[in-house]
Amino acid sequence: MATTCTPSASLSRQVTAGCDENAYKCYQCKKCTSGCPVARYADMHPAMIMRAVQLGQYDMIFDDRFIWLCTGCETCTTRCPQGIDIATIMDELKIMARAQGRIPAGTPSAAMLKLNYDSFVRWGRMWEVELITLDVLKRPTSVKNWLTLGPKMLLKGKINPTLKRGDTLAMKRMVQTAESITKAREAQNAGGQS
Amino acid sequence: MTKTLAYYPGCSLHGTSGEFDASFKATARALDLVLQEIPGWECCGNTAAHSINRLLSVALPVNELAKVEQDMKLDAVAVPCAACYSRFKTGAHEVEESEETAADVRAVVGRAYNGGVAVDNLIDVYHDAVGLEALDAKVIKPFAGLKVACYYGCLLTRPPKVTLADDPEYPVHMDEVCETLGCEAVDWNYKTDCCGAALALTEQGIVDDLVGRILTDAKACGAQAVVVSCPLCQVNLDGRQVEIAKKDPGWEGIPVVFLSQLVGRALGIDDKTLGLKKHLVDIMAVMA
Ligand code: SF4
Ligand code: SF4
Repeated sequence: MATTCTPSASLSRQVTAGCDENAYKCYQCKKCTSGCPVARYADMHPAMIMRAVQLGQYDMIFDDRFIWLCTGCETCTTRCPQGIDIATIMDELKIMARAQGRIPAGTPSAAMLKLNYDSFVRWGRMWEVELITLDVLKRPTSVKNWLTLGPKMLLKGKINPTLKRGDTLAMKRMVQTAESITKAREAQNAGGQS
Repeated sequence: MTKTLAYYPGCSLHGTSGEFDASFKATARALDLVLQEIPGWECCGNTAAHSINRLLSVALPVNELAKVEQDMKLDAVAVPCAACYSRFKTGAHEVEESEETAADVRAVVGRAYNGGVAVDNLIDVYHDAVGLEALDAKVIKPFAGLKVACYYGCLLTRPPKVTLADDPEYPVHMDEVCETLGCEAVDWNYKTDCCGAALALTEQGIVDDLVGRILTDAKACGAQAVVVSCPLCQVNLDGRQVEIAKKDPGWEGIPVVFLSQLVGRALGIDDKTLGLKKHLVDIMAVMA
């Protein structure tokens, strides 16, 4: 089946504005895809994402679960002959997808990243037991994943369920400043593009 | 000669991997290293920060580096968790590379970091800060040729522009440390493949697949144990075997030990301090 699309440079421009990486350098050798541990578990794969960025195909990227499976393993970035930091582009796409409310159904990892972020923002440190508990409350069926492993790890003393906080005030201050600087930059970039 | 290093344990070493923290500290003591924990340390931002707020993900580790440099007045920090190590190296790299990033980070942290702190991962500590010769001299209970597969995973070596690893596709420093302890480090194919990392919280099927492939190769190449230096790799490679065995009844477990536990055992540190009983696949048989 022939597929047609209307190319647009806007996605690539947004990616470059956000993370200073240039997807146009990609020449589709697919080394990134060959080494990607999760390429086989989604419809998209790293080289295909790069092509979609070049052509401005937002829907292809944001409707697929690939970017949310990306573990940030840096294999693609390490091997790309064009020196593209592909893993950073994946992060940028995750940031954009979240900002635009374009997280597809069936991607629990997206919510988990946010639970993780909120956890260390709240306590100064990430609290693993909290992440799992909040996730199970939101997705009760996920409890089956922990029925065997959770008790085994607790019994062995592998998990310490308590939390030692970090310097929560310092954390709060850094988060607020970082978020406001980021917002200001985004507004600047959006202004520059129109 | 005693050497003093700042110490950043990170969240996992206080949560799911207390034995990593305890065994690392015990080996440091035995190797005449003084560890000073960074006072009031914060989370390094882990996988979440860099996919939600890039600036924060750089600022958090740089804030810790500034504490080491200016409050503790030390020139090196030990970061045994591979994931934290990666965030520290990336943070330092980004502020060095870009003046614009450095200025933003300065605003978030509240002061400048001048780049004066070396970041050592667990392997660096044994291989370089202590050194193989000095380590060798302290080995009192060497292994009798235990065959180990050294698993580096992703972030100890990648991306090389940040870690400056010698050979990101086939690193050997952990192998050299293990051989100094009397182990035989096997050649194998999955040294630097990803275990699925945090997908273990949400996409267990994928992680079982990845872990199964890594461990099957380790076994096929003759390893009796897999050695790791990352709390998440350890939990995944060890813990997922429970599920893998459910799907594959013929599965034979392979122990997954922290490098610090292996070093500790060779230095004659007791089992309890090293937390040898905390893992799901029994490691006592290979540590005896
Ligand atoms: S490795 Fe680099 S150049 Fe090759 S397909 Fe992937 S992104 Fe493109
Ligand atoms: S960083 Fe993400 S996209 Fe790149 S190889 Fe790893 S999982 Fe695949």
